[in-house]
Amino acid sequence: MHHARASIVALLTAAALFVGGCGKPASAPATTDATAASRFPGMEADLQRTLKEQPSFYVFKTAADLGKDTQGLTWEDGSDLPSYADPAARKGGTLTIHATDFPGTLRSFGPDSNAHFRSYLSDYVSLGIVRVYPGKPGRIGPELASSWAVDSAKKTVYFRLDPDARWSDDVPFTTDDIVFSWYLFRSPLLDDPWVNDYFIKTFTKLTVYDAHTFSVTLKDMRPDIVVRIGDPDAAMPPAPKHFFKDFGPDWVQKYNWRIMPTTGAYTIREEDIKRTSSVTLSHVRNWWAEDKPWAKGRFNPDRIRLLVIRDPDKLVEEFIHGDIDMLYPITTHVWYDKLPATEASVASGFTVKATFYNRIPPPDWALWLNTALPPLDDLNVRLGIFYATNFDLVCQQFFRGDSVRQKTASDGYGWDPNPAVKPRPFDPDKAREYFAKAGYTQQGPDGVLMNAHGQRLSVTITTIYKSYQDVLVILKQEALKAGLEFNLEVLDATTGFEKEEDKRHEITLTSFQRQVDMYPRYWESFSGANAYDVPYLPDGSPNPARKIKKSTNNLFSLADYDLDQMITAYDKTETMDQVKVLAAKIEQRIYDDAVWVNGWKEPFYWLAYRPWVKWPKDFDPVQSRDPEQFWLMWIDQDEQKADLEAKAEGRGLPPQILTYDKYKEP
Amino acid sequence: MRLSPQARMQFRRFRSLRRGYWSFLMLVFLSGLALFAEVLVSNRPLLVRFNGHLYSPVYGSIHPGRDFGLDYEYETDYRALRSRFSHETSGNWVLMPLVPYGPNENCYPGQSYTPRPPSASSRHYLGTDEINRDILARLVYGLRNSLLFSVGYVALVYLIGVVIGCAMGYFGGWFDLGMQRFIEIWSLLPFLLVVIIVRAALPPGMPFGLGLLLFVVVLFAWTSMTYYMRSATYREKTRDYVAAAQVLGAGPARVLFNHILPNVLSILVTFLPFTCATAIGSLTALDYLGFGLPPPLPSWGELLKQGTANLDAPWIVASAFSALSLLLILITFVGEAIREAFDPKKFTVYR
Repeated sequence: MHHARASIVALLTAAALFVGGCGKPASAPATTDATAASRFPGMEADLQRTLKEQPSFYVFKTAADLGKDTQGLTWEDGSDLPSYADPAARKGGTLTIHATDFPGTLRSFGPDSNAHFRSYLSDYVSLGIVRVYPGKPGRIGPELASSWAVDSAKKTVYFRLDPDARWSDDVPFTTDDIVFSWYLFRSPLLDDPWVNDYFIKTFTKLTVYDAHTFSVTLKDMRPDIVVRIGDPDAAMPPAPKHFFKDFGPDWVQKYNWRIMPTTGAYTIREEDIKRTSSVTLSHVRNWWAEDKPWAKGRFNPDRIRLLVIRDPDKLVEEFIHGDIDMLYPITTHVWYDKLPATEASVASGFTVKATFYNRIPPPDWALWLNTALPPLDDLNVRLGIFYATNFDLVCQQFFRGDSVRQKTASDGYGWDPNPAVKPRPFDPDKAREYFAKAGYTQQGPDGVLMNAHGQRLSVTITTIYKSYQDVLVILKQEALKAGLEFNLEVLDATTGFEKEEDKRHEITLTSFQRQVDMYPRYWESFSGANAYDVPYLPDGSPNPARKIKKSTNNLFSLADYDLDQMITAYDKTETMDQVKVLAAKIEQRIYDDAVWVNGWKEPFYWLAYRPWVKWPKDFDPVQSRDPEQFWLMWIDQDEQKADLEAKAEGRGLPPQILTYDKYKEP
Repeated sequence: MRLSPQARMQFRRFRSLRRGYWSFLMLVFLSGLALFAEVLVSNRPLLVRFNGHLYSPVYGSIHPGRDFGLDYEYETDYRALRSRFSHETSGNWVLMPLVPYGPNENCYPGQSYTPRPPSASSRHYLGTDEINRDILARLVYGLRNSLLFSVGYVALVYLIGVVIGCAMGYFGGWFDLGMQRFIEIWSLLPFLLVVIIVRAALPPGMPFGLGLLLFVVVLFAWTSMTYYMRSATYREKTRDYVAAAQVLGAGPARVLFNHILPNVLSILVTFLPFTCATAIGSLTALDYLGFGLPPPLPSWGELLKQGTANLDAPWIVASAFSALSLLLILITFVGEAIREAFDPKKFTVYR
């Protein structure tokens, strides 16, 4: 599961390392409590006890019941889905890429596991039961399950596991692992509140029919019910039961450096973990899914070497030098100033530059206005700030026209939630009109507006993203044209995150990482229940005695009764048509509340790589956010040899600067 | 005030140490430059003649564009105004400073943000930084921030250090012992973490600025001065003139500040330049790490940071590094000279 703000958690981890372990304690005391450990009866006994104690959750039926339960349902297997990989891809070779830090653990869940490195340990290399199909928005493709059937009335999905599925240590993958996974992710010993919360609150029943057939029942019927159960980004990839035989109160320490078997194409060998410097993934021998249609042409290199390179400037140098084969991610500065077409390795064809346009929900970069604090509680001030914020300039001149403004709070889901909603443009005169309505009519000696009480129109923008400090400097300079003063506060990740979670910020420049999904989520960021303890009086008016609710994603402290009614209805929708009707209304309301000042998004990603790294004709599937996500590249070893010889002899290759704009939005 | 013969002699000796003295004069000159920077480096003109009236916008409140017949409420873009006047024959004119750029402005509106190399024709004598700001302007205004910071730093560190250090030496006993232990514990607190925490703990509407940063830094820096003052006071208080003052009925404060302090003045003066250097170094280091002054305040540490991240634009790092080195070298030369001038021994290595 990608937790919301995965990137921030990674930052927090880095910050905790930076301050020398002065951050939060790594694990709850219970996990190190010796008496608790001695009371624990062992994983198998605890599992059996749990199954017995929760007979209404863990249900065991026979294969005979299956026919009855699934009568009249249509089974899907995604066999009509078009392939996005290249069937001509060649296997073999070593791909060297970089990691920003050495992992603090090899676990992919539990404390401190949500770092950048987890992508290579789990997110991008392990398999789910099913997966949102990145080549066709709104569709689902098979992985560990070969087919599935949805029973909307019973809020239940039936899955048939692929009988070929095996762990990398050759143990077959069966419903035993499924039952264990639900037990594990619901266990309080897991010490991972996000996973716990999800697995406890989302599901109401797990029914096993035989070694390869099971069903899961959810509390609510939603259009993406299959994804919620089976997609590893929404839920979790299943865990191997035989590997966790030592699971118990002290599992966090015990399993820090154990290598978990995987159902996916890559695993790590003990000898390939070079502390602090590199980790290498190796292709599983005789991988069970090698010839499955969804895996054909993917996971091609034999070895994927991850070099730890922490400094971003050194990373670029090492890439140019040839120590790593692919450079990602790439900033505007690196793309234009460090790797221009005239740069030696680009000009000699040794570096290929590619721009790939994708369609995914982007991180929602924006100014988030905290309506709990004056003067931001005044709608006119918020509207004024909207018109005084020159994100258009940032897109045009800072991101050099490559980034565009977010249109709504939920771009990238494959449909436009509300065509009528457009970001308000930068307009100092209009901003001054709204500020005047809010009482700020006098211009002070420094050009900042003042109201009748002599209060200056001055608000602070907080951010933890040092890399976007310059964006704020630009916004500050432009806002002064509207008589608005922005004070800038760039905090380190840990304290800044805490300040935002405590809702002590006035405005923050931030974003939440969002997954490829069928439709956006509003409850987390926009519902009153995430702003205050008791947001309203029974008649729907604001409760004067309400208290701020901390540690939620509603960084606006927004409690809008009408909006809440819409969100409640939205979260009960059962079809995509209902979703779209309500999303249009919600987007309009968010726009009218003027709390989220649309920032920028990159409708593409940039990648630089060596010419012997080959990609399919269309590069990546339409819904890919990262070139390392679906592993479509392959190494042309003959060309690698020839290219390296050419480089050694000082011969140039034809330069390649490529653009893949098949999925570019008009 | 008349200088004592000894002080006059020390001053004469300082003047005779030419390297230190010239460094001192140069520092005074640079400080003056930083203090009156608006006259030389600014995006506001020294004089504007518009429709028969003379304006001097360089100091004081802003002039909205409307004052000069333009159609906006915000501060006039004087460079644009100047080029506009130069095409007219109305007799209006604008006199810009030598470097017509402010420290916080985008000097290339309408163009992409990227460092531009030094060029005398565009009057960017040291080039521009990542977001099109003039580096010379940022250096000059950054120098002002550094100097203001070090003046505040020295004043506060001396005030607290002298009072507490002298009291420790004068009273001795349990007070001395207790304070020593306190200082030992206090100086072990992780300074950087406290800076981070204080910044995040500020209530909304209270922006972090030079004053608060100074406060946090001084909170931890005052301890170094106490030990010197403590030992000096210990030494002095056993002398006869102190006993005489006490016999005459002088209280501790009078003895300390009227009798002892003038006799340990040389310690304070000798440490002065080095304390200044420490202050400038701390501010630069904090800015470099991103825990110092909030953006977009001009600072040398921020410029250094930018420079190391943009080695392909070497003029950034070269400017910041040379400026910092030059300033610290000047201060060190002055410090050496003062130390020698105040040295009671006649023969020293500096002679």
